[in-house]
Amino acid sequence: MTLRFLRAFAVCLALSLLSACSWWQGDKALISARLNALVEQVNAHSPDGLGSLARAAQIGKFFTDDVIVELGRGSAPVTGRDTLMAMAARLEPRTSGFTVKLTDINVLVTPNDQSADINLTAEIIRKTPASGEPAASSAPSMDAREFAVIMRKVDGEWKIARLTAVDTLK
Amino acid sequence: MLVRLKPDATRTGPAEAGLYGNIVSNVRRIIFGANPRRTTVRILVLTGVSVITFGWILTPVRTDGTSMLPTYASGRLTLVNRVAYLGHSPQRGDIVAIRLAGPSVVYIKRVVGLPGERVAVKDGQVYINGLPLVEPYVRHQRAWNVDEVTVGNNEFFVAGDNRGMTEFGATDYGRVESDRILGRLVF
Repeated sequence: MTLRFLRAFAVCLALSLLSACSWWQGDKALISARLNALVEQVNAHSPDGLGSLARAAQIGKFFTDDVIVELGRGSAPVTGRDTLMAMAARLEPRTSGFTVKLTDINVLVTPNDQSADINLTAEIIRKTPASGEPAASSAPSMDAREFAVIMRKVDGEWKIARLTAVDTLK
Repeated sequence: MLVRLKPDATRTGPAEAGLYGNIVSNVRRIIFGANPRRTTVRILVLTGVSVITFGWILTPVRTDGTSMLPTYASGRLTLVNRVAYLGHSPQRGDIVAIRLAGPSVVYIKRVVGLPGERVAVKDGQVYINGLPLVEPYVRHQRAWNVDEVTVGNNEFFVAGDNRGMTEFGATDYGRVESDRILGRLVF
């Protein structure tokens, strides 16, 4: 009885490890890691102009040349990586006031493994101006938006081809 | 010549050994109970019940932001009853949790309009099918204006209680599909 239990436990453990390993090396994990790396770049701020340009160039690497970014009601869509990079450099002083965190990243890779539909929540946490730390919980510190993302594999690297803000409340 | 020393009975006499044994057995009894197997089962059952209760039935949430003032201040802890709408659909006045891409982050809003109703906001006053809605929970009011919309069959119109915010937009009010409503706030 005990031996049988141990065998079953070992088989379950091996299967769990195998599935974890396959997930870890799969496209879903790669995409999640890529999106989190983009967020890290967005959250990394530099005080000087040259640093802003370098940061914008780094951010640009995560997008395809023909990327379309739609941020929802009241804002015109941004088309093209160059436009996006210019915006990222220009908006640096404003974006340095908050940090972005991604949660609930749902990835659906197409059967040909060349594109993926992603649905995620982006939390925007405001920092206190003095310390740069997230604001106290009593302050209006957080906003959250849902995004639909389409990513394409370009030269073996996952890049964002379309980013659309989803209106949870219409 | 090797002499094997016998344990010195005078150092740890039967009384001390008995005291030590009592302490160990008492500590063991406090930690594992009189029947360790039964205690393990109890712990497993409690863990399982807690995971199911707080994962799928009563999900704890911490409010953040000012859109639900004065009903919910920022930083307040509450629970979402995720089985509240198994038997019936949300009612007007219910405070509901609305999921975004997943259940980790939710919007907390009050149901104002029901399916099929026409909803409009004029100077902060909500109108349902042309009639003003009495909302005793609203304390702060500004000149909010929302053009009349007809709520779809599978939708609800929700809004925050704080109508006094200087800026309001896409995340403060609107129609929401019923499958996005996770549940009702308990308190």
